[in-house]
Amino acid sequence: MKETDLKRAYNNVLAQAISTSQKFLFAGNLFGDIFVLSLNELNKATEEPPSKLKVFPQGSDVDINCLAFHRDFLIVGAIGLIYGIQWNEEDETLSTKRVWEIKIPMQVDAVEVPDVNSFYLCSETETLYAGCGDGVVYQIDLEDGRIQREYRGHTDYVHCVVGHPDGRIYSSGEDGTVHFWSDKQKEPTAILEPHKNPQLLRPDWGKWIGAVSVNDDWLVCGGGPRPAIWHLRSMECTRTFEYPGRVHVCEFVDDSVLIGGEHNHVQFYTLNGTLQANIPVEHTASYSSVWQTNPFNFMSIAGFSNKLHILKDFRFLDSKIDMYGNVQDEMEDEDQEDNDEDEGEDDSF
Amino acid sequence: MNMEDLLNTQFVKLKEAMNDLFELKSAGHVLELKQSPGVLMFVALKHSNRKVKRNIKSGRDELHLQKSKVDLSRLQLQNLLYEVSHLKKEIVRCQKFKSRDTYLELLSDKEYAIKFAADGSDNANMSNHKTHLYRLECELRLRKELDNQYSALLTSKQELLQDNLKQTQKYLSFAPALRTLLESTKPLHDALQLSLDVEWKLSSIFKYLPRALYILFINLQALQRTKTEFASKVVGFESDQQMQELLLETENTLKERRHFTEKSTSIETVPDKSLDQVLKCHPLHIHLVIESPDKSFELILIVRYWQLLKCVTVRAQLNSTNNSNFQGDANMVEDLLGHLYPDDTGNYIPIPGIEYELQNLNLTTEKCLEYLVENGYGKPYCWLQSMCSIATVNKKQTFKHEFNLHKWIRKVFMRILKRWQSWLRLTQQIRGLTYKDVDLSISKENIYPEGLSCSLVQWTAISSEEFNIQNAGLIYNLSPSNGITYTSYRAVIVRGSAKMECFIRIPSNYPLDIPLWILSVHWNGRHTSMNNAAIKMMEFWTNSLQPSQLKKGNRLLYSQLFRTIYSFDIFLETEGSMQTVREYNKEKPYISTFTKRIRLRPYKYIMKGSTFTFKQ
Repeated sequence: MKETDLKRAYNNVLAQAISTSQKFLFAGNLFGDIFVLSLNELNKATEEPPSKLKVFPQGSDVDINCLAFHRDFLIVGAIGLIYGIQWNEEDETLSTKRVWEIKIPMQVDAVEVPDVNSFYLCSETETLYAGCGDGVVYQIDLEDGRIQREYRGHTDYVHCVVGHPDGRIYSSGEDGTVHFWSDKQKEPTAILEPHKNPQLLRPDWGKWIGAVSVNDDWLVCGGGPRPAIWHLRSMECTRTFEYPGRVHVCEFVDDSVLIGGEHNHVQFYTLNGTLQANIPVEHTASYSSVWQTNPFNFMSIAGFSNKLHILKDFRFLDSKIDMYGNVQDEMEDEDQEDNDEDEGEDDSF
Repeated sequence: MNMEDLLNTQFVKLKEAMNDLFELKSAGHVLELKQSPGVLMFVALKHSNRKVKRNIKSGRDELHLQKSKVDLSRLQLQNLLYEVSHLKKEIVRCQKFKSRDTYLELLSDKEYAIKFAADGSDNANMSNHKTHLYRLECELRLRKELDNQYSALLTSKQELLQDNLKQTQKYLSFAPALRTLLESTKPLHDALQLSLDVEWKLSSIFKYLPRALYILFINLQALQRTKTEFASKVVGFESDQQMQELLLETENTLKERRHFTEKSTSIETVPDKSLDQVLKCHPLHIHLVIESPDKSFELILIVRYWQLLKCVTVRAQLNSTNNSNFQGDANMVEDLLGHLYPDDTGNYIPIPGIEYELQNLNLTTEKCLEYLVENGYGKPYCWLQSMCSIATVNKKQTFKHEFNLHKWIRKVFMRILKRWQSWLRLTQQIRGLTYKDVDLSISKENIYPEGLSCSLVQWTAISSEEFNIQNAGLIYNLSPSNGITYTSYRAVIVRGSAKMECFIRIPSNYPLDIPLWILSVHWNGRHTSMNNAAIKMMEFWTNSLQPSQLKKGNRLLYSQLFRTIYSFDIFLETEGSMQTVREYNKEKPYISTFTKRIRLRPYKYIMKGSTFTFKQ
């Protein structure tokens, strides 16, 4: 299989981010490529086809696990490493140089370099929370790149970190728990274990919690167990959602809840648990969603396929945008003129 | 006082005096007294007259002076006018002037910059015109230099020609002596039974080869001396005479036809059956025999030349030297040649402008090609034309004319051999899998010493349609196949109650493209890359295996199969971690079951020092 075909068939986008100017969308995949899409093009009412994407390769050894955007640089979470790269808004280019780099410290008993799985960026305090493969949430000061604090408690790797500007942090992990943290307390303020709830448990799929999201009073989480809404103070499960797949994405969007994962649809539910919208997607599994309501409504859902799914009203699919095969200056046909010495095609090489 | 007044007063005075005199005379007075003042008046009159005359003269002189002045200025004016008109003319002439240098073809800015980069450093501040002049100068210098070189080359060419002539004459002078020598040694040849005659006969045949085949043949002969993997011979007609007759005949028909087409420009229709006659390949063709690596087969390439199409075609034949069975290999040879180079499937005639020439004869390239293929003459591949030093254009309209024939022919042969070897290995593997005469668990490609928990229970060929129906979703994502056909297989791998179906598609241009695997797991429902990310990652891991990653001696298809089986093992061992009764226990060494948000399983196999582990 040719490399282009291989990438097109198995493109796995784990992370997306929107620039501070809200004009550009970044999507990073496991092949180490970051795609940049201009949102202004999408918002135009004209019928002409949207312009092509730009791609900025980070190296085939870089797995782009998560992305965040702060001021004018893009923060990339790779394996054991967080780095920032400058985004030039005028030229619409990502610099090839890493502006800064933070290494995740290896634990004493660790055998593998931990992945950086999830970011929560608190722009008010300029703090980045990174949920990592060693089960620790690292609190990083973006001013000087210092690791300010480590939140330890998970017994397996962290899937997802979210938080609230007032200092509350929530992390979910492979160990099946959601840890509630406060930046003033050393120990977790509370621990939620949805798989202990027989209503939620789906034994075939495990206890891991793939995604969590909060607003002022409520928390939604899901993974192997069914997605459900929890009240933050009483820790009661008030509503479960009938999403038929494993959950990798859940989020409060306006007054509804978006749930996505290993299923050929993503779904919007009301807080009462009724299905509002059932949106077909081409992803084998959806892994990432980003959205904004200002200056215009826009949502992009990405996952294990070569397409970004664009929603403009959060109810219906607006368009699908190809990634590989839709890039500026892409060579349609690489020159396969191979020289006589290296044919690279014989079995015995 | 005015001259007129001056005279008038004198006249008046004179008249008065006259009148006085007259009165006095008439009165009879003595005149003498009065006469003398009167006479004196005449003197005064004379004086006045002289004065007047002088005045007039001076006036005239002045007039003359002024007049000459006027004349002078007038002359000057005339001069000026003339000058103006002259200048105007000059201006017009200047405007109409065109320098010859505009007709010159100058070097382009870029070339100029390269050639005169060193001495053109100060022309940044020169005016446009000056730069131009400077460039012209440079150009002149360059041209002079080139001219010198040209003349030098001409003289050397002349010298060489002279030299040549001299040498030829010298060698020609040997001819009679050699001829007598030949005749006189003939009995000796016969006595020693030397086979020189045979070679002569051969040479007498191949001198009738068309230019393209002749070039090929000579190069092949040269190569044959250094290598023994292949043999080439000219096949045609035995006797010289027959050959000549044949050639004459074809020439005549060609001439006739040319004559005919020139005469009748009106539309003529060539009936289908005469395509045979119109095209007509050259009566001589070349047989090329290549032996397979294991010496059990020989590949015979029959190369023909088509005068009208100006191209050569090749037909391949596979002969077994020891009569073993080789089913399904007929297609293999065609695929081998058709996909030797990408986008060179021989489905068009790659000769520049041939379609227009055929148009004159009311033929189309498609029709000719169809004829060639139908009658088993093979296809006109670009690489073949290059072997015969025929210029080609491919579909992308890139022109190619190979000159280093020696190297090229060798390259093509190496490629054919290598491809063939790959194909043989592939068929061997497929045969091994179909008849299960490979022991997977001890095969040396089996990297993991503990062996496999899954087993391959079935490997069968299926039709492409069946393959496409099964895997519509993924095929859609692939780039279109140009001229590539596929052979499909279905493999079934089983472990306990779990079953995995693999659909394998082997492209006809293997090993340019490698086999594609599509997986489908039947265990608690059907899992494919369309509905299960873990399966999709498995599939990616199998399909991402590149031939360059293989260790020496490893077989691609086997390695792919092992990858798939390990992945399936890992999948089963990591699946269902919450169940109370687990069907598959962890047997493979891996540290963490899942990593990343996608819950990636440890499909990758690594060897750290002496320990084996599976890793994400």
